[in-house]
Amino acid sequence: MKTLIMIAVAAISLSACNRNNQSKETTATTTDTTQTEVQANTDLNSNNPVNNVVTSYLQLKNALANDNSKDAAAAGTEVQKAIEKADPASFSADQKKIFADVKDDAIEHAEHIAANANNIEHQREHFETLSKDLYDMVKVFGSVQTLYQTHCPMYNNNKGANWLSETKEIKNPYYGSKMSTCGEVKEEIK
Amino acid sequence: MSLMKKIGLVVLILLIGIQLIQPARNSSGQVPATDISKTVFIPGNVKSLLQTACNDCHSNNTNYPWYTNIQPMGWLLANHIKDGKADLNFNEFGSYSQRRQLSKLKSIASQVKDDEMPLTSYTMLHKNARLTKEQKLLIIDWALQAKDSLEQKKP
Repeated sequence: MKTLIMIAVAAISLSACNRNNQSKETTATTTDTTQTEVQANTDLNSNNPVNNVVTSYLQLKNALANDNSKDAAAAGTEVQKAIEKADPASFSADQKKIFADVKDDAIEHAEHIAANANNIEHQREHFETLSKDLYDMVKVFGSVQTLYQTHCPMYNNNKGANWLSETKEIKNPYYGSKMSTCGEVKEEIK
Repeated sequence: MSLMKKIGLVVLILLIGIQLIQPARNSSGQVPATDISKTVFIPGNVKSLLQTACNDCHSNNTNYPWYTNIQPMGWLLANHIKDGKADLNFNEFGSYSQRRQLSKLKSIASQVKDDEMPLTSYTMLHKNARLTKEQKLLIIDWALQAKDSLEQKKP
């Protein structure tokens, strides 16, 4: 009887130890990779601190327009990473303000898009609000490439929804192939 | 003692052993200044729906059924509550940025509309958290209206 209890206790404590070790290891590796990638990115895009966010957003937009929820999820992860990596230290006061306002919300939408690789409609719901966040952001930060604020009047029970595009050509990310050409350019952002 | 009996005994001891590890309770018993009711208007009927169908996992006060005193049920529930509160905590709603508040209200409406919330695993055990079509509409309409009026307040 005594031995049995000892075994049970040992098993519980052993599994507890294991868990601690594992979580430590994962944190260590993540920090390493983040550091190297940040350096690479700042070298490439020193002129616009949120350019990586815009680029990955556009990938996400194109994946949704192609009805590809897997690519959309992957792009969602990239959006999230890019926002987390952007360093407000170099921002102007206005930029800091809008970034602080947008950050948590945008990260959350990106996370949900990343986590819903099997549910494109849900990804699109989050994409709609993320698009608003991105629009407000590029209005203050500007953009390396010209962007087009595009409007689809039908999405959301005809309430309408917007997205940012790198081309004037309409490829609707809310409906994909079902209604690819629905939408019109409302504004040009440089 | 046969092998089966020994295994049975170990399992039994483990089951008793894990009862000693009780997760911390999620019950503050207070309505903080950051509560959602201080940011947006919630009519009484919607408030009671949120109370019975949402607050167990989306607030700092869980109404614990008896079986959550038994492990691992209590652990499972503690995990659900942790995840739920991370996504949306009605008691901390006021501390979110306005942008995030608007997103949350939009998500409440769409999650209820798409039958994603309340979770099926939750309503299976909580019969009173099962929402009728009318009750769902009440929540959806409230969330969207609250969102609109919050948007108008935008600085």
